[in-house]
Amino acid sequence: MKILVIEDEQGLRENITNYLNVDGNVCESCSALNPALQKLAIYDYDCVLLDIGLPDGEGFGVLEYLSTQKKKEAVLIISARNALDDKVRGLNIGADDYLTKPFHLAELKARMMAIYRRKILNTNNKLVFNEIVVDILGRNVEVNETAVILTRKEYDMLMYFIANKGKVISKNAIAEHLWGDEMDMHDSFDFIYTHIKNLRKKLVDAGARDYLTSIYGLGYKFIG
Amino acid sequence: MKLADHYTRTGIYITLSVLTAGAVIYFFAINFIAQQQLDRSLQQQLTEAEDYIHTSDQDPQRYDLDRDHAVFVKIGQQNLQKRFFDTTYYNPRERQIEPGRAVEDLVKVKSGNYKVLITISRESQRYFIGVIITITLTLLAGLLFILFITNKYMLNGLWKPFQLTLKEIKEFNIAEANQFKGERSKVDEFTELNEAIREMSLRVTHDYLSMKEFTENASHEMMTPLAVVTTKLDTLIQDETLSAEQLAQITDIYSSINKSSRLNQSLLLLSKLENKAITDKEPIDLQVVLREKLLQFQELLLSKDLSLSSDIKPSHIFASKYLIDILLNNLVSNAIRHNTMGGKIVIALDGDLLSIKNTGADLALNEQLIFDRFQKGKESQGTGLGLTLVKNICQHYGYGIEYKFDYPWHAFSVRL
Repeated sequence: MKILVIEDEQGLRENITNYLNVDGNVCESCSALNPALQKLAIYDYDCVLLDIGLPDGEGFGVLEYLSTQKKKEAVLIISARNALDDKVRGLNIGADDYLTKPFHLAELKARMMAIYRRKILNTNNKLVFNEIVVDILGRNVEVNETAVILTRKEYDMLMYFIANKGKVISKNAIAEHLWGDEMDMHDSFDFIYTHIKNLRKKLVDAGARDYLTSIYGLGYKFIG
Repeated sequence: MKLADHYTRTGIYITLSVLTAGAVIYFFAINFIAQQQLDRSLQQQLTEAEDYIHTSDQDPQRYDLDRDHAVFVKIGQQNLQKRFFDTTYYNPRERQIEPGRAVEDLVKVKSGNYKVLITISRESQRYFIGVIITITLTLLAGLLFILFITNKYMLNGLWKPFQLTLKEIKEFNIAEANQFKGERSKVDEFTELNEAIREMSLRVTHDYLSMKEFTENASHEMMTPLAVVTTKLDTLIQDETLSAEQLAQITDIYSSINKSSRLNQSLLLLSKLENKAITDKEPIDLQVVLREKLLQFQELLLSKDLSLSSDIKPSHIFASKYLIDILLNNLVSNAIRHNTMGGKIVIALDGDLLSIKNTGADLALNEQLIFDRFQKGKESQGTGLGLTLVKNICQHYGYGIEYKFDYPWHAFSVRL
């Protein structure tokens, strides 16, 4: 998967590219609007991560360029602005999703994978992870061709883990993913444990390997 | 009372008192002049009568002129002071008594001393004064009426520019782009006033815009470093050599970042609400939204072993989905968070009334303070902006929000 990160904050850009540069992904980055437009003119990407507040103009320019050039990149906006109109505007002119800073890298990856999958849904609507097969349209999960009935939260969690396989994920990130950042974190930590326990049991009972490891004091890791 | 009314009232008072005083003086002057006139004519008749008596030898008692009532009475007195006085007059033609004026004097002739008394009617004088008074009173009433009408209708027009200015000031919204116009007026004072207000509004708008820009920029700028910290931590936790204790510290850092980011979002939203910068509206089926919300809080309810009873009837509103979500989030999560273990929550939605009651602390909250910024319980983990947001969202849509404590219920009700 080819990814372009357009973000002017160096620390953020480096962390994002490092986090995404796994599993054969190729992650490039640039720090301003014009170099981004030049790159997009030459190369095709699967996914573009786009900051709105760029030093030489608003990131909306990228969206306009993509739509006039009829390019098919999936775009995920990452912006410090939560302004409602910004959100609507970005989504209206072709962005696929919108993520407000600050965000967890795991969340970014999960969202990115989700919009990427939506883009390629016509060709492939099955996500295969070893013995686990997820039918993305029907939100059904099978292990070794046996259906596993998951609750909505368990399903969301599984997708989240698969997108971030091999990475340590904090409870905070999981809680924000499942309940949104409106919710006070400490309330949700106990529920995460319950959901994880159930998900793990269902998968293992259906014959899957036990992929989930608990990282004491912090969170979980889904071994890839 | 309006300024024009003050004007009218003062005008009427002054006119009325001046005219009344004038009328009194006028009345006495006219009366005096008329009396002088009568006395002069009496004097003339008296002179005529005396002349006649002196020149003729006739008995004065037989002197009579048709038009005059001259009476001669023989008296023994040697001296009699001539005097004019008011009396009655018998009008032989009309056969009635009329007010009259008389003069008496002493006439000395050969046959002795006579007292002469001549009486004439005062009727014409009275009539004359009556006419004058009527005219004066009519003028007075007419003047008052005209004064009143002028002030009420014509001078009111003079105030029109002022009222326009006032209306414009009332409608002035700092967050809206339209400027204070203040049209030119024929009255210098109003033009000057408009000029001053326009300048002030420009200054205020400018200050406001730079303040708003500053607040928004500051909030946004704060988000980027928070994002850097979060992603750095996300990278850091991949290190497998970290101890559980270090990881627990990182968890706390995450929570603090989350809290400051929520705080930031809430402040931004508050400033937006105060500036009425949120305009998107859509029809919302509150029944559905509320049910979803309760489902969302299911786990939280279970974890505190709360029993929820709800009576949710259909209700449709027209508002921003985002704001309504925040409103419900805050009200419901407060009812859960500030509840006791095993407590109760009662939620009712009926038409235009949403009420959320919960058990909790035994003391009533201070309803003057709970909606203020950063007023929160000592143990509260929240931002302290939840209820402020609730209140401001309610104000934004003109909903009424009320808190009541009726043991053991803490009740919040929103009148939609």
